[in-house]
Amino acid sequence: MNSPPDTDKVLDIRNLQVSFSSIAGTTRAVNGVSLNVRSGEIVGLVGESGCGKSVTIRSIVGLVPSPPALFEDGEIWLRTRRGMTETLSLYKNMKALRQIRGRDVSMIFQEPMRSVHPMMTIGQQITEGILEHEVVDPAEAYDRTVEMLDLVGLPSPPAQMNRYAHELSGGMRQRALIALALVCHPQLLLADEPTTALDVTIQAQILELIRDLRERMSMSVLLITHNMGVVANLADRISVMYLGRIMETGTVEEIFKEPAHPYTQGLLASMPSLFSQPKTHLQSLRGVVPELAMAPKGCVFADRCPHVMPICDETPPVVELRADHSAACWLYDDVEASQGPDAATAQPSHGGDSTLGDASQRVEVIPLTKTEPAADAAQKKLADSDTDQLQIENVALHYPILRGLLRRQVGTVRAVDGVDLSIRRGETLGLVGESGCGKTSVGRLVTRLVEPSAGRIRFGADGRLEEITHIPQKEMKGVRRSMGMVFQDPLSSLNARMNIRNIVGEPLMLHGMARGSAVDERVGELLEMVGLRAAHQSRFPHAFSGGQRQRIAIARALATEPSFLVADEPVSALDVSVQAQILNLLLTLQQQLNLSMLFIAHDIAVVRHVSDRIAVMYLGKIVELGNAREICVRPVHPYTEALLASIPLPMPGLATLQEMPKGDLPDPANPPTGCRFHTRCPYSQPICEQEEPRLVPFADAVDHFGACHFQDELHLQGVEEIGEIHGSAAAAGGEE
Amino acid sequence: MRTYILQRFIQMIIVMIVVMLVSFIIVELPPGDFLTTLSEQLTEQNVDPKVIDSTVEMYRARYGLGENWFIRFGKWAWSLMKGDMGYSMQHNRPASELMGERLSLTIWISIATLVFMFVVAVPIGMLSAIKQYSAWDHSFTFLALLGVSVPSFITALVFLLLSVTLLGATTVAGLFSPEYVTAEWSWAKFVDMLKHVWIILFIVGLGDTASTIRVMRARMLDTLGEPYIDTARMKGLSGAKIYFRHALRVAINPIISSIGLRFPQIISGSTIVAIVLTLPLIGPLLLDALLGEDVYLACSILVVLTLALVIGNFLADLALAWLDPRIRFES
Repeated sequence: MNSPPDTDKVLDIRNLQVSFSSIAGTTRAVNGVSLNVRSGEIVGLVGESGCGKSVTIRSIVGLVPSPPALFEDGEIWLRTRRGMTETLSLYKNMKALRQIRGRDVSMIFQEPMRSVHPMMTIGQQITEGILEHEVVDPAEAYDRTVEMLDLVGLPSPPAQMNRYAHELSGGMRQRALIALALVCHPQLLLADEPTTALDVTIQAQILELIRDLRERMSMSVLLITHNMGVVANLADRISVMYLGRIMETGTVEEIFKEPAHPYTQGLLASMPSLFSQPKTHLQSLRGVVPELAMAPKGCVFADRCPHVMPICDETPPVVELRADHSAACWLYDDVEASQGPDAATAQPSHGGDSTLGDASQRVEVIPLTKTEPAADAAQKKLADSDTDQLQIENVALHYPILRGLLRRQVGTVRAVDGVDLSIRRGETLGLVGESGCGKTSVGRLVTRLVEPSAGRIRFGADGRLEEITHIPQKEMKGVRRSMGMVFQDPLSSLNARMNIRNIVGEPLMLHGMARGSAVDERVGELLEMVGLRAAHQSRFPHAFSGGQRQRIAIARALATEPSFLVADEPVSALDVSVQAQILNLLLTLQQQLNLSMLFIAHDIAVVRHVSDRIAVMYLGKIVELGNAREICVRPVHPYTEALLASIPLPMPGLATLQEMPKGDLPDPANPPTGCRFHTRCPYSQPICEQEEPRLVPFADAVDHFGACHFQDELHLQGVEEIGEIHGSAAAAGGEE
Repeated sequence: MRTYILQRFIQMIIVMIVVMLVSFIIVELPPGDFLTTLSEQLTEQNVDPKVIDSTVEMYRARYGLGENWFIRFGKWAWSLMKGDMGYSMQHNRPASELMGERLSLTIWISIATLVFMFVVAVPIGMLSAIKQYSAWDHSFTFLALLGVSVPSFITALVFLLLSVTLLGATTVAGLFSPEYVTAEWSWAKFVDMLKHVWIILFIVGLGDTASTIRVMRARMLDTLGEPYIDTARMKGLSGAKIYFRHALRVAINPIISSIGLRFPQIISGSTIVAIVLTLPLIGPLLLDALLGEDVYLACSILVVLTLALVIGNFLADLALAWLDPRIRFES
């Protein structure tokens, strides 16, 4: 046990146990984790938040403060320039540990926005690392830094040397941090959720960069993420972690083709993929990740597992299913002995009917009883305003930029710049785009939380459309009774000092719909409708988990029985399994209450899953509008294609789009001339710089609009087409 | 950077004009003026009413006291700009003469207190954060809370009591030993002052030092929890480099920007201490002038103090801009 591992391994964690002591007692955050990374390999460590992933990889380099952490057991062997070294034993020898950091192993972090020092230039920060480890003169360190900045793809590296963090975008900061981490050529890069805080297109760029650098610098990577798509894209092997334990380990192909552990299966099924049946319930995991102290004895997953058995009270064995695939689950304990290596194919009886071909397909298809409103509405066309609940015409939101002593206006941020949209009764319109594109502003405009700078907004509470563009707030109050809104961050959108009864009941009292005990009753109904207990009215928001808080926010939005709901990124702050539960809830409620919905999100897979139609927004303009599935199969705007290609799909080996959009979102105060996307578009032509394309119908489609000069000539890659190339999955998903 | 300095400079001038106006109005606000005080005094002394009237009339003509307030303000402001601080009617001496030494001593002591505060509080606060929950941290947390909660005049009184009862001192108060109080400035007098001044710095600066220790500790803890400190750790840097090169310059920001605010606090805080310890500072003079409705003296003191405050703020802003690139680029 105490001997160093073979030299093929860059990292070997054996039976790591880390506890945290507090007044409440001691909890074991990492409970016997074993993990290894071989030369040149990318290993993914996946799991929901609070599962001990970060503690595990921070332990490798001594970044877990102790106390409160207690390293109770285990070894961490790391290949360094001095041979295999056990790093846990180095904790008392800070000097030796420091020599390893940055030189043999480096780390990049979750929040690039906050991980670059705000008061030092990029150049200073990177050269500092070189000078710490190597005896070189400053000129050489400077040259090497410039070279490294070039390698990570930052434009004009010498200029970047003198820039500060606030002058760089999130994507550029993460590139700079990667340069910082790799400048001393470490053999192992630890990446802690490196792309979680970034936009999808930027995420795709950074993942591509990590993949590319792995080859060029011949290093290994240990990657933490909660996103199954990211590991499918990048990793060679995967370990799935839950509540401090490794649940399953295997090659990326095995894990995605034949996920053995029920937790892995649940994670995969929870993700709305671009192949799932839209508007159906996702098969989500039950419940939420419990507090560590509340974890079940034996198998920690037992309380959420669909296949739970009496024996699960005991700690499950780690079963070797294949040479490189193991799972810690009682389901495979007996089969191992009798059937040998084929055990992996033995599926739990409940899931047996679905094909093993693709885990993301294994969704419970519950067809909605109502006919799809989009289908028949398409024939009636847009002009038929009787069916419209909301129409906005040429709506704009401009913010002045004020500068100087006299606050003179020196420019305008065009957050929303002439948007036309309509939402039919009972329809869900998805609004998708990168952060900063103005999609949230649209949501705030239609609910009149901000004053439009131009255009018309018409809304029909229960009948005719009425103009609400500039009506006074007093009248607007009446209209708001028919509008509900759900925000992104369920914690900050619920007042921490009000109990649930008052939070959910406030709209009722405000609109004089109920008083006294009638409020309690109605709040109870609402809470039960969103899957909470009516008895919990007197509790305060902090007593609930993230998913439960979002349920409360939904209950509040629906308190006045609105016919229209604006959901602004309602699931992006939630874990995958909870995300699926909330999406399911929204779908059910929409069907029950015949809600119209404006669903705003950055993740086109999520939007596709819940929407009838999708509007794609870029820099304040709608660039494409059409039927949800249609848009994903046959995008007409290159930006839509890019968004689709940027979503990391949970399908290993899938070739993504070759030409990713370059660079970052341009400054909305100074948008590019002509087509706003031309600066990043791979198909850009001279005309795109000069003339701004209008949103026009695409070919002969009734309900599909695009704003591209070449939409009739370009044949863009939709996602189901990619799927067909890959084979299995698309056939089932893309039935038309 | 140049536009930033220019902007700050213009703002400074605007602030000065507003403060001059406001302080003049505030001093003018209470009913009655110096003349009512004067005639009351003279009546009490049983002076002949005719003499009183003529005296009052003389003052009125001399200072235009009967005229509109804005004319008086204009006259005063104009002469102030020429460097004429006006005339104290209470003391019958030019205001500048009264302020003279007291003002320079006050500013000197305030700056010294600031430096004392900085030199003592920043290292202690920093170390308390680095060694959080250690014996060092706990003891300085205790002392700092004590320092924040005990008013400075109590400290001064305790100090007086102790030095008289325990040390049997006879000359505890004052800035100088008795033989130097009225003497001309000399090296010996300066040395004598240094002997006395440290205890004043301690008493006046204690509260501010204590609160600065707390601020520094909290800021340092926040900064050490920032992701960019993890980045620095992962470079393999030593503790000293992380604390001084990476954390300190971020953590110290609010302390520098508060220097401008500390300045008036120190002056008003030192007033009470100065009264208790009979120090020749500007505070007691201002108090006196306000009580006696000695308009010109009070306004002049206020304006000079404001000027010092505004300049202090300006310097703090420059220091911040030099330290923090984000402020530099904002303009």
